[in-house]
Amino acid sequence: MDMSFKGDFEVGMPRAQTFALLADPQKFVPVLPTFHSMQMKEGDASTAVVRVKVGIGKVHGIATTEMSLTEREAPVRARYVGKGSVMGSAYNMIVGFTLDDAAGGGTRVNWEGTTQIHGKILSIAGGGMRGYAEKEIRKVIDSLQGALVSVEHFESVVARAQAQGQAAPAGSAGLLASLIAWLRGLFGGGTPAAGASEPATVAHAPAEQAAPRRVPAPDPVRPLREIRASIEVDGNGNGRWVGQHLRRKEDLRLVRGVGLFLDDHQASGMLYMGFARSPYAHARIRRIDVDAAKALPGVRCVLTGAEVAAQTTPFMQIGAPPGSLVEDYGIATDTVRYPGEPVVLVVAESPRLVEDAVELVEVEYEVLPAVTVSEQALRNDPILHPAVGGNVIFQGTWDHGDVETAFREAAHVVRISRLHFHRFSSTPLETAGAVATWSPRGDIDLVSNIGLPGVAAQMLAAYLNVSTEQLRLRSHDVGGNFGTKTVIHTFMGLAALASRATGGATVKWVESRSDNLASFHGGERTFLDTEVALDADGVITGLRSRHLDDCGAYTRYEPLGCAIWAQVYAATYRLRNMHIEFTQVVSNKAPCTPNRGYSRLQQLWFMERVIDICAHELGIPADQMRLRNYIRPEEFPYTTPNGGVYDSGDYPRMLEEAKKLIGYDAWRERQAALRAEGRLIGIGIGTTLDSGTNNFGQVLLVNPDSVFSGNNEGARVRIGLDGSVIVTLGSVPQGQGHETTAAQVVADVLKIGPDLITVRSGFDTAWNSYGGLSGTIASQFVVTGLSAVHGAAERLKAQISRLAAGVLEAGEEQLEFGMGEMGPQVSVRGEPARAVNYWRLSNLANCNTAAVPEHLRDIDLNVLYIYKPPFSLPDVGKKFGNQTLTYAAQLHIAVVEVDPVTWQPRILDYAVMDDCGVAINPKIVEGQVHGATCHGIGAAMQEAFQFDSEGNLITATFTDYAPMTSMNMPDLKCGSIETPSPFSYNGAKGCGEGGGAPLHALCAAVQDAVHARGVIVTESHCSASVLMATGERPNRERVVSVASR
Amino acid sequence: MPETIQPVFVEVVVNGYTYQREVEPRLLLVELLREELGLTGTHVGCDTSYCGACTVLLDGRPVKSCTVLAVQADGSAIETVEGLERDGELHPLQAAFSEHHALQCGYCTPGMLMACKSLLDENPAPGREAIRKGIAGNVCRCTGYQNILAAVEDAATKLRGA
Repeated sequence: MDMSFKGDFEVGMPRAQTFALLADPQKFVPVLPTFHSMQMKEGDASTAVVRVKVGIGKVHGIATTEMSLTEREAPVRARYVGKGSVMGSAYNMIVGFTLDDAAGGGTRVNWEGTTQIHGKILSIAGGGMRGYAEKEIRKVIDSLQGALVSVEHFESVVARAQAQGQAAPAGSAGLLASLIAWLRGLFGGGTPAAGASEPATVAHAPAEQAAPRRVPAPDPVRPLREIRASIEVDGNGNGRWVGQHLRRKEDLRLVRGVGLFLDDHQASGMLYMGFARSPYAHARIRRIDVDAAKALPGVRCVLTGAEVAAQTTPFMQIGAPPGSLVEDYGIATDTVRYPGEPVVLVVAESPRLVEDAVELVEVEYEVLPAVTVSEQALRNDPILHPAVGGNVIFQGTWDHGDVETAFREAAHVVRISRLHFHRFSSTPLETAGAVATWSPRGDIDLVSNIGLPGVAAQMLAAYLNVSTEQLRLRSHDVGGNFGTKTVIHTFMGLAALASRATGGATVKWVESRSDNLASFHGGERTFLDTEVALDADGVITGLRSRHLDDCGAYTRYEPLGCAIWAQVYAATYRLRNMHIEFTQVVSNKAPCTPNRGYSRLQQLWFMERVIDICAHELGIPADQMRLRNYIRPEEFPYTTPNGGVYDSGDYPRMLEEAKKLIGYDAWRERQAALRAEGRLIGIGIGTTLDSGTNNFGQVLLVNPDSVFSGNNEGARVRIGLDGSVIVTLGSVPQGQGHETTAAQVVADVLKIGPDLITVRSGFDTAWNSYGGLSGTIASQFVVTGLSAVHGAAERLKAQISRLAAGVLEAGEEQLEFGMGEMGPQVSVRGEPARAVNYWRLSNLANCNTAAVPEHLRDIDLNVLYIYKPPFSLPDVGKKFGNQTLTYAAQLHIAVVEVDPVTWQPRILDYAVMDDCGVAINPKIVEGQVHGATCHGIGAAMQEAFQFDSEGNLITATFTDYAPMTSMNMPDLKCGSIETPSPFSYNGAKGCGEGGGAPLHALCAAVQDAVHARGVIVTESHCSASVLMATGERPNRERVVSVASR
Repeated sequence: MPETIQPVFVEVVVNGYTYQREVEPRLLLVELLREELGLTGTHVGCDTSYCGACTVLLDGRPVKSCTVLAVQADGSAIETVEGLERDGELHPLQAAFSEHHALQCGYCTPGMLMACKSLLDENPAPGREAIRKGIAGNVCRCTGYQNILAAVEDAATKLRGA
């Protein structure tokens, strides 16, 4: 799209001075209302790199423009050429101006500009770009006319503005002001202006990445898992419904668009909360002016961080001192520590008024140097949290076996200098949100989409200085979570405060996508100085490494990840001798949150990189390398060096099955042929674990004073007044089909159809069916949630049995559960006429109590059961103990081709094997497997949070972040095996997270493709840009060394 | 201070019902549907027209309603997910999505269904690649798209047979 603009305006200052000042960007640019920062381009003194804040309403970002002066004739004319990028789009522009003397000693500025814009931005701003541009230009001209009155006045304006920005050495730019503002208009647009011509239409066109090149598949796709008619899971003959593919109970409302998601909550008099947020990674807040925002009609409350701090207690920390001395109010008080951090809370009568008010908040910042690389944090310059005294939050050494001997006796020692696992997020399509009502009576209703309400309640109560029992936490439909909503409690607390501050109004907070991308990141980890000892056959006998975890600006759920990773200490391998120094630091990036595969997938990726790098360097085929090192099937249950107990598994068989699925041998032959043609083809294997059901005792490993251990989950099953069966859960469903699978379990216990069982949607503390560790995290529902449901159903059944025996005057052993003409019933075996249905039983227990013999009056047909997995406390000194109950496994094989010129990797073929033990609903398992695979492929190939050198988040919208679409997702060849867990009542293992298998398999495949070019894959993100940077300067010599004897 | 803006009169027909509202000129179509008309089946996922959760049909054409102003829809007929079901019968796409487990959290589903309806309206017998392209502007974070592709293939077959 091309656009041209021109115009003129007058300023009060004489021509020579106007020219001089306009031509000095160091002074001029900071005057812009959208100014962010400016530097000279490295190695090019004539080009300024200018950053401006872009965004209107809910869409925020930083636009970076390189501007060069190409023509300069003082005091008459100048001309600039610029290029830049924002939101996945690119633009070029030229702007020039001429100056004339105006009447009264002033100057007339005649200006003219053209721009060409390419990319997705055009579809966003639609036909409304021009309108926006004109409006934004008007604003800049207004500010120019205001500033260019006299030199003194101008300089005072500039001085004030510069104090807020980073006045780096600058050269010539100039009247790019209007263009910058113009661009702000162009790229700010979530909303085209009124009167715009054409609405944006949905592209049925291809997305950014071309479809994978088609190569004939060696094998047809086979179904993931045969749908079985029935299975026996508990030895009592139950299991008719468990194991079946049932259509989900959740679906009917969701396909009709009548689900109840967070943002769907409406209430009369509802108010809306939003935030003025930090545009800097690290800055001191010098001054906040909220007067204009408060004066806006419809604004009901404005709170600064200091005002929030005055009425709250800092959030409880999970870790131990000094790391736990981080002071966290969920909003900046005197310093901002990541771009996007909330600075001022605003409540208004509509979401649009919130946006207006946020724009009126004025904050003066003193920009500080930012920590943007994990290793930099270790230098403690700068220190983020002075109270902590440094940037290290946690440091611990895991040392097991005899590492020294392993290295002394090694045939080979492989050294790997640095591996890096990048930041990404599974970005659920529904962003975080909360609806808070702090009633004048003191009870606080918090609807949200948080995933771990039990722990959140404890954190929130302490923060708000209230009792946990004042809090009602609930959710209905949740639009995905993947762990990323675990730490939204800070925002929930702020929403509660906003409600109290507005007299108990219902306050809704719904995060914009830009805010979401700025706020919640998956964990970043760097692996340093890794040494691997191997015997002559390539069996790994010892490993030493330093792991540096970067949790972002605040600890929130951390340093729990510093313990969680050790659930999968040596991954799927028999390795016994390990020494790992694990350190966690803070940085000026968004606080990290658990994200699908939390903390384990980094360790699993690391181990898979180690395996593949060693295999390549020693010339051992990748599949053979694994077979030599896998834990053997006969060794299960297998105790790991640090006391973990792997329940069951058969990795060699999974490898064999996966190889069959993808046609491994045929691909190897084909690879050789294609390589001969100069094509870069790679085949990679990734073996991984999805450890499920946490032992919260592992918190002790990061804080010996922790008061958390074990785990629990609740469920309640009751017979309703009409004889129906009602189930409430303590878990927080987010799309995993809890309603359906819970109904399957209850149906089997009571021998009735699942359609007759109502499972309430969502979570509610008011149902009284939860425990203090309730939640949907860590691949646990199938074990914790369904064990609770099963336990409650069995106890209810026992009550029904006793009452029915009394009513029917029969022995309990004579009774039979099932369906009769009058609904669910209990009958005397062999005597169909002697039966009592659930309505009658409920009537007796609930409404007709005098008709019940006294010895049966304790029966209430309303049963709560809290399941507690069989855990014990770990040995903290030895860092030894079982941290999790089940270990599902995934094994993926990927075939990729890397373009030798562009370095663009493409997936040619992809196979998935999973083993999650017994599948309660195979179709739901299949969905989890597909979804986890998609997330992993996205993370490996295209999804990464990217920052510039100052710590600004470049990927601030979906357009930049580019989550996976149907165009990037290959067809999967899926299969499964089933090794039932001996530790869960139903033989199932949690399977929700998937262990990041695609990251392992794709990195291995890319490695296989480019190894001959001297490239070692050291980053978990294998996008073309990352590969090209490495490929142009092959890193093998620098990264890896092998010493053999 | 933001300038004072006069409301604009808008009339739209949504799923066959006529609605008249005075709206701020900057109100988005999705905001009109959700906040003013109470039709919360249409969701917002990204604000920048990448994810398609807000897809509705505007005079038969699929649009991302987070990027269309309510005033632009004045005088138009709009179809949303709430209008797919007819006489208590699910649209074949809705039934197929459930049958094939083509939804998990269900947040993308309304927009996905509307994009698919538009696709099948235009092309009753799309191949797998055509379906892939047809939903390229709709992000699903749960399913990995495999079962969505299968559901649309199945629904297309059923619609052709109907």
